[in-house]
Amino acid sequence: MVAIVTTAFTLACVGIFLLLYVNLRAAAGWLQDDVKIIVYLDERLAANSVAEVEQQLRGDRAVASMLFISKEQALGEFKEQFPSESHLLEGLGQNPLPASFVVALSPTFRSPEAVKRWAERVRQIAGVSKVDYNQDWIDALATLIRSIELIAIGIGIVLSAAAATIIANTIRLTLFARRDEIAILRLIGATTAFIRVPYLLEGAVLGALGSALSLIMLKFMYEMFRQQMRTTGRFAGLENLIAFFPPSVCFALVAVGLGLGFAGSFVSIRRFGEAKA
Amino acid sequence: MIQLIHVSKRYDQRPALSDVTFEIGKGEFVLLMGPSGAGKSTLLRMLIGAERPDEGQIFVHQKNVTTLKPSDIPYLRRKVGTVFQDFRLLPKKSVFGNVALPLLVQGISSADIRRKVTEALRAVGVEHKRDHLPAGLSTGEQQRVCIARAIVNGPVVLLADEPTGNLDPALTSEIIELFKLINARGTTVVVATHDPQVMGQVNRRVLTLEQGRLLLEQRVME
Repeated sequence: MVAIVTTAFTLACVGIFLLLYVNLRAAAGWLQDDVKIIVYLDERLAANSVAEVEQQLRGDRAVASMLFISKEQALGEFKEQFPSESHLLEGLGQNPLPASFVVALSPTFRSPEAVKRWAERVRQIAGVSKVDYNQDWIDALATLIRSIELIAIGIGIVLSAAAATIIANTIRLTLFARRDEIAILRLIGATTAFIRVPYLLEGAVLGALGSALSLIMLKFMYEMFRQQMRTTGRFAGLENLIAFFPPSVCFALVAVGLGLGFAGSFVSIRRFGEAKA
Repeated sequence: MIQLIHVSKRYDQRPALSDVTFEIGKGEFVLLMGPSGAGKSTLLRMLIGAERPDEGQIFVHQKNVTTLKPSDIPYLRRKVGTVFQDFRLLPKKSVFGNVALPLLVQGISSADIRRKVTEALRAVGVEHKRDHLPAGLSTGEQQRVCIARAIVNGPVVLLADEPTGNLDPALTSEIIELFKLINARGTTVVVATHDPQVMGQVNRRVLTLEQGRLLLEQRVME
């Protein structure tokens, strides 16, 4: 029982980081989905050249959708967004705002690296003056996700090893307590497998139960957190943006716990056998 | 059935067995006599592959025990029953459970286990104690249960290491008679002992060990 609870707490710590990582990655995914790339056209580009650029972009498989913003539309949007600043442009006489295409890329091309590569390529098209996609922000997002991924992996490895060690020690104590019984079984013709299998199963079950208990604890903490968000004015409504692990991930985590338990048990049994020899 | 050929064994340069050679035929009853430290237990442990000799060869039931793979040793031990001075019964298992163990490890069916265990308990005279725990048995009864466990799967050889060491003379006599009965049914029996009472009761072959050497081989006439 102690081993199951201790394993559960250890794996729950891993689960917290995993849950954080999964939700941040999902949030990053939504933000990336929302990324729009603005392809600015040269000031004095003729209408047929604009049409050529449009045709080239539409023919690009990376482009999911695009919208043409004429110079006049750009001016109208500027006045709408910055009504108090519109007098600045009126003082210039002519409309300085360029025409542009607002492009949304296909899902497979939305990673920060893919967006960067696409933008570099489109910049080379004749008639394109600039491609703007908030690259610093996307790079920062990619770095954040990568950092969290590495931290989660590091913590996951350390704590998983801790969980396996806890189970290994539990099995080691069991083997020691039953050493006389094991010696008798050896003497009456029990094979190594006959002696080992029950302990391997015991370790696997301890790991699986520890993992399952950790998921229950995590779910409880998750619901408490959501409740807290719901009742806190500033974050009310945001609780729907976070999600717990889907059933498939839960089963996979229980399987990981089972595997860790089996591994811990296996190491203990091997060491016990070598010590006996 | 059992053959030792120039077997020697040392522990930290101290000889436990020195150049021991003898043969035991099928169905024989042999006493292995000698004082404590003579090498009797070491010899018995070698017969079940629990120790390997430093020199020589050992054959049990046509198998060369000295070259047996570790994975094959359990199958040798299923043909050799062993009885110990300290009984080595599992305290939390009933008499039935203890005697059934050698059959359980072989994956024998429950019905056959019930039949064979009952036969073995009947043969040693403790069938009425089948549901008792070892702690609830007398010393003599515990040793009988140990013997039942050793014979339950019909071994070809029965090895007993000081089986009467913890028993009084009356119980010693009973246990030795039991061994004679088992031997009469065809099982080769080897009893290691330093108890002269046993030698007086068994009119068979005696191998005497001292300081690891086979000193004497004699047949005791009735």
